[in-house]
Amino acid sequence: MLSLDFLDDVRRMNKRQLYYQVLNFGMIVSSALMIWKGLMVITGSESPIVVVLSGSMEPAFHRGDLLFLTNRVEDPIRVGEIVVFRIEGREIPIVHRVLKIHEKQNGHIKFLTKGDNNAVDDRGLYKQGQHWLEKKDVVGRARGFYQENRSVEDRNYLFLILEL
Amino acid sequence: MAAAGAQGARSGGGGGSSGAGGGTSCGTGSSRSGLLDKWKIDDKPVKIDKWDGSAVKNSLDDSAKKVLLEKYKYVENFGLIDGRLTICTISCFFAIVALIWDYMHPFPESKPVLALCVISYFVMMGILTIYTSYKEKSIFLVAHRKDPTGMDPDDIWQLSSSLKRFDDKYTLKLTFISGRTKQQREAEFTKSIAKFFDHSGTLVMDAYEPEISKLHDSLATERKIK
Repeated sequence: MLSLDFLDDVRRMNKRQLYYQVLNFGMIVSSALMIWKGLMVITGSESPIVVVLSGSMEPAFHRGDLLFLTNRVEDPIRVGEIVVFRIEGREIPIVHRVLKIHEKQNGHIKFLTKGDNNAVDDRGLYKQGQHWLEKKDVVGRARGFYQENRSVEDRNYLFLILEL
Repeated sequence: MAAAGAQGARSGGGGGSSGAGGGTSCGTGSSRSGLLDKWKIDDKPVKIDKWDGSAVKNSLDDSAKKVLLEKYKYVENFGLIDGRLTICTISCFFAIVALIWDYMHPFPESKPVLALCVISYFVMMGILTIYTSYKEKSIFLVAHRKDPTGMDPDDIWQLSSSLKRFDDKYTLKLTFISGRTKQQREAEFTKSIAKFFDHSGTLVMDAYEPEISKLHDSLATERKIK
């Protein structure tokens, strides 16, 4: 039998202690999972925290910034707000600003988006034949952001703005 | 100096205790497979990192448990530990249900089930905290002494211990609850862990076992006098 001294602690445990160690690990994972799901339920968005992947929203957001989203039904989408949306058939969400909105009496809206740093609106990004986005494509509206320090002068300086 | 003296005696005493330990495991080994026998190292002297507080406490607790269970032949009662295990298992179960439900019914439809699971999970966490703080306290062993006549209820022995962070004083408390009179008596000792471990971090049973026996006998003899 191999002499694996580092396993001595494990060998000394009886069944219950081993099971407790496994459970301990499971509880840590479960806690993280439950916090994430809890955030999903509270904000109403299927991805309450997203990372900005491109520079299309500079100078407001840079690559690597974290965005906090909510997707409540009561909050209407208005021009000038920053929304995170998913184009049908694509997995990666996009963070852009709302440019134009058409709204019907019953509350149904279609809207057009554009990145602050882009020259043209997003019609080129939408699906073939799609000219407007709808509420169902929205992952959430940006409510706050977290930006890591960018410059040498701003060392350890964090911005966190939460509008509730 | 006490540790060095114990180290000299350890080579003689260690052989004796490992012989006794080998005797007990040999008796049960015949009923288990050979692989399980090689896995268990009950008779190997306990060696831990002497600077790791939690490892020290665990090894002292386990050895105290071994003394009470093997020397005095008490039967361990797993009720307290099983309670904690069930609470943890139920919490993990809620988490798994939430995970699977959300996977099968994508987000907006699964909101009520998710909310239920999340709230239940945190409620279970609260229950677990209350359970460990008030019911379990720091008790790590509940042992029963079966009454030889079989008439009276069992006497209960409880062991609890504490070792503060970065401190070397280990407190072991033994509580005796008489089955007949339901009276509770306790005895404890607080000693530096340096008295029980040698330089390399091996637990010296010869120094530790007499302490446990002393605690035990002080509670047992009182009963006879009464």
